[in-house]
Amino acid sequence: MKDKSLIKRFGAYGYVVPAMLVFAVFLFYPFFKTIYLSMYKTNKMGEAKLFVGLGNYIDLLTSKSFYNSIAVTVIFVLIVVTGSMLLGLIAAVLCNKTFPGIRFFSTAYALPMAIASSSAAMIFKIMLHPSIGIVNKLLHLDINWINDPKYALVCVAVLTAWLNSGINFLYFSAGLSNIDESIYERASVDGANEVQKFFQLTLPGLSPIMFYTLVVNIIQAFQSFGQVKVLTQGGPGESTNLIVYSIYRDAFFNFRFGSAAAQSVILFALIMCLTLVMFKVEKKGVQY
Amino acid sequence: MNKRITAVMLTAAMAAGSLAGCSGGSSAAGTTAAQNTAGTTAAGSAEAGTTAAGPTTITFWHSMGGVNGEAIDYLVNKFNTENTQGITVEAQYQGSYDDAINKLKSAQIGNMGADLVQIYDIGTRFMIDSGWVVPMQELVDADGWDLKQVEPNIAAYYTVDNTLYSMPFNSSTPLMYYNKDMFDKAGITEIPDSLPGIEAIGEDLINKGGAGEVMSLAIYGWFFEQFTCKQQQAYANNGNGRTDVATAVDFDQNGAGAKTLTAWKSLYDKGFAPNVGRGGDAGLADFSSGKSAITLGSTASLKQILNDVNGKFEVGTAYFPKVSADDKGGVSIGGGSLWALNNEDTAKQKATWEFVKFLVSAESQAYWNAQTGYFPVTTAAHDEPVFKENIAKYPQFMTAIEQLHDSTPESAGALLSIFPEARKVVETEIENMLNSGSQPEAAADAMAKQINKAIEEYNLLNE
Repeated sequence: MKDKSLIKRFGAYGYVVPAMLVFAVFLFYPFFKTIYLSMYKTNKMGEAKLFVGLGNYIDLLTSKSFYNSIAVTVIFVLIVVTGSMLLGLIAAVLCNKTFPGIRFFSTAYALPMAIASSSAAMIFKIMLHPSIGIVNKLLHLDINWINDPKYALVCVAVLTAWLNSGINFLYFSAGLSNIDESIYERASVDGANEVQKFFQLTLPGLSPIMFYTLVVNIIQAFQSFGQVKVLTQGGPGESTNLIVYSIYRDAFFNFRFGSAAAQSVILFALIMCLTLVMFKVEKKGVQY
Repeated sequence: MNKRITAVMLTAAMAAGSLAGCSGGSSAAGTTAAQNTAGTTAAGSAEAGTTAAGPTTITFWHSMGGVNGEAIDYLVNKFNTENTQGITVEAQYQGSYDDAINKLKSAQIGNMGADLVQIYDIGTRFMIDSGWVVPMQELVDADGWDLKQVEPNIAAYYTVDNTLYSMPFNSSTPLMYYNKDMFDKAGITEIPDSLPGIEAIGEDLINKGGAGEVMSLAIYGWFFEQFTCKQQQAYANNGNGRTDVATAVDFDQNGAGAKTLTAWKSLYDKGFAPNVGRGGDAGLADFSSGKSAITLGSTASLKQILNDVNGKFEVGTAYFPKVSADDKGGVSIGGGSLWALNNEDTAKQKATWEFVKFLVSAESQAYWNAQTGYFPVTTAAHDEPVFKENIAKYPQFMTAIEQLHDSTPESAGALLSIFPEARKVVETEIENMLNSGSQPEAAADAMAKQINKAIEEYNLLNE
């Protein structure tokens, strides 16, 4: 009798253990190690050598370069999230009707999901080349896309938006097929036009999945890396020095793990706050 | 509500992934290295089972991909089949130079790695300080091998305190490539040998020669270092970091940095040298496509340029330009060298030396030069038929050899433990200067400030 209640009380935890173990090894341990490292300066081997407490954080918060990274990242995230969600939504709405060749179009719209960011960046690098690239040839322009600080960030952001749009297309398509067809029929009977139907029925019907997509997209955009590494390496100047790239540079190039860890912690806090705010806002905007 | 909390927690876990990525990376690299070594040991013992006469297996890490990688594999295979001491060399491609040195750092924490590593020029100070290596000089002396066989200006780079630390293997210098057809059309017979000289003929090249731009000058830290060498000035203090560990850069104090940047900016402001991007080969596409009349690039790029140009115009080569007409300095070398790691195994060390000796032999170097465009590091390679054929086919390569011979060991260039970082700082600040129109002196100071801070921190933490 006593045994049974014990199993009843703690049995559930037993099932959680395997998953927690995986989390512990790959998430929690690195997580705490990162916080630990962020309070040290490391030597060339990446070993914690000198305890500096909040020194790394103070260095960061007084450095212009770090604020630049944050500002660049915020602009980047804004462009990427708006772009990729709009692209995904438009594509999904267009593919919601059946017509000949629909399979081809849905595959094409979902395809960016399957392309690795660095290989896409390699292709874009050639396409955007000022003298041999196809973009300038077709548009009869002479713009140095990747090496001009005015355009570099936008180029990287547009590429990322396109890459992320594939998965959004998939989510939105699934969301659209979940909306009950009959409400559209009823709306037609009431004399609603297509625009009204889209804003009054489709968008509210999509709002739960849209909220999820928004959260995931923001986090994903914050973590973009491969494109920057291949296309611009943070340049020209520091105009595309996204925070994740800056972390990479400090950690694996300059072997300054302490500073990199401190940046990671700040990035974590940023994304965490943002996500919490979004869940608060969710109550108002999302209709289940 | 409960559902929502779970959702928040899950999202937080995802966000935490961004953190985990950072510290996870180094351990991942460690594992790869460990696996590599495990693989080698397994291969080693298998080998021991088949051959009785004390065979040795050594691991060789290199960073040569593509055509160069194939050439390395050919040489390794040749050595494995031809050597009579039962030595087997396992060549492992480790990615770019940066990747290889970073993997080595991770591997050495677990004290397992390779026996011989190819490291880039700017990793030299780091390797000397690391304490992981057997200076190549010891192996040379133990064998009584004559070091005079190696090009003195190449050996000088890797020699510190009269000790040769690593064996040069793939060495290159920067060259100026120019479009001969454009020069002929513009009626220019005298090839400019300095940046102001290029500026002086800029108008002619555009108006008469039909050039789209005068010079595709890539923003590359190596070029900045070479311009400093050309001025016979030091990049870093303490004898360019050669008499003792450098504690600060010198190019801001001796004015070499500002002079280089002034000439650079002047070319840019006149529209002669627009920003074509960062990195060693960023300027090559404009040149090969016939847009720019002049570009700077490594000697190792010669073959690629000739292939890309494909006879559309005649490619000329000249010495790397000076910063002002009366500079008398030479160029320093770049590329990679071979480092023997101290694994406290004399048999392996001997095997490593045999392999190094094979790689720098005249025959191997002539083959290597013909396949890749890197210098033959041994002078005797010049007598090999393979080399002579290659020179006959690509006479432009002779410029590179003459330039190297005209240089002096004093132009050997700086050694700096944080060179990879310093190079990036230089590139970023050049971009900032060009894009924001700030003054060259301010740009040089900004570079010096950041690099000095990094040097100071490095020296403090790695005594």
